[in-house]
Amino acid sequence: MAEQKLGNPAVVGLAGFGLTTMVLQFHNVGWMGMGPVIWLGLIFGGLAQMIAGLQEMKTGNNFGYCAFTAYGCFWISLALLLIGNHYNLYTSSKTDVGWFLIAWTGFTAILWIGSMRVSNALATTFTLLLIGFVLLDLAHFGYPDLTVVAGYELMVCAALAWYVMAHIIFADLFGRDVLPVGKPWIG
Amino acid sequence: MKIKHFVGLIGLMICSGTMPVLAADADTATAEEVINKVRAAARFLHDKGFSGYAEINNRDSRWVWKDSYVFVYDCRKDRMIAHPLRPDLVGRPIMQITDNSGKFIFKELCKVGSEPHGGWVEYSWTKPGAGRLSRKASYAMTADVSFATGIQVGAGIYDENITLPELNKAIEKVFDPAKYPAL
Repeated sequence: MAEQKLGNPAVVGLAGFGLTTMVLQFHNVGWMGMGPVIWLGLIFGGLAQMIAGLQEMKTGNNFGYCAFTAYGCFWISLALLLIGNHYNLYTSSKTDVGWFLIAWTGFTAILWIGSMRVSNALATTFTLLLIGFVLLDLAHFGYPDLTVVAGYELMVCAALAWYVMAHIIFADLFGRDVLPVGKPWIG
Repeated sequence: MKIKHFVGLIGLMICSGTMPVLAADADTATAEEVINKVRAAARFLHDKGFSGYAEINNRDSRWVWKDSYVFVYDCRKDRMIAHPLRPDLVGRPIMQITDNSGKFIFKELCKVGSEPHGGWVEYSWTKPGAGRLSRKASYAMTADVSFATGIQVGAGIYDENITLPELNKAIEKVFDPAKYPAL
């Protein structure tokens, strides 16, 4: 009996990560308000990415397991933090959000090193994500204009996450590697 | 005899029109009050983020007092964010707004508001309740809001006589109280 084909949870994880990161940057550069970021942050960047992350456990991929689950939680906590501010529930000031982002910067730095063992495209995605976090940290501590710089920089990061997603989906559909992700930085 | 003199003085004040002016002062915001209110609103937005805009848009909130009110605008996106007395302006571009002398009010406000301690701009604007143009001086300063840049908070006084040096002295008084010890 033929073994049932299983999907790769990373495609949903990368889709949710990329799309929600993208819309936050649409806000950061001033194209739109924060409403869509909050709801997408709860459902796609949050819930869907977190479930994808938890599904990674069974594939034996610790990097995907940790990254998708954690960034899913990042989006849920960021959305709830902003909703909490609206309802005066444990309100978070700009400084508080800054420290929240600094903690996530440290976490991202660890995964950035790990990503160098995966592929060129993923290592570049994490490099841009780490730079984006650092820019947002600085934007929260004295350099607010960097919010816009981080906005454009993280749009590239989100697009690259979609590239990796498309690499997996297209390879499956076309039966060959249409969008190569390149060799790992550390062999 | 002394009481007689006092009653006479009150009578003189009422007849000469001085008394109504003094009474009106209780309903007129001062320059220092405006600076303190704007600072408090900027702090409020730092603490509460963009969800604080709704409160500033509410005309029954603490941000509307005496004959003044706090307004919030985005210098980078060219938008009015919160204006408790002119909801029609909220969400609209601001940079093209001029007073009757052709002064671009918000271009000037954005310029002085980005100074470290903010600054004042004089222009003509309709005084709440008066229904006619008055000389207004508004104080503006930058508000530090999460995931945003270029947000400023302003509020103004309606005074035909106060000078710019007097207004700037009020900034110094609020930001550097050590220079002006209480007597």
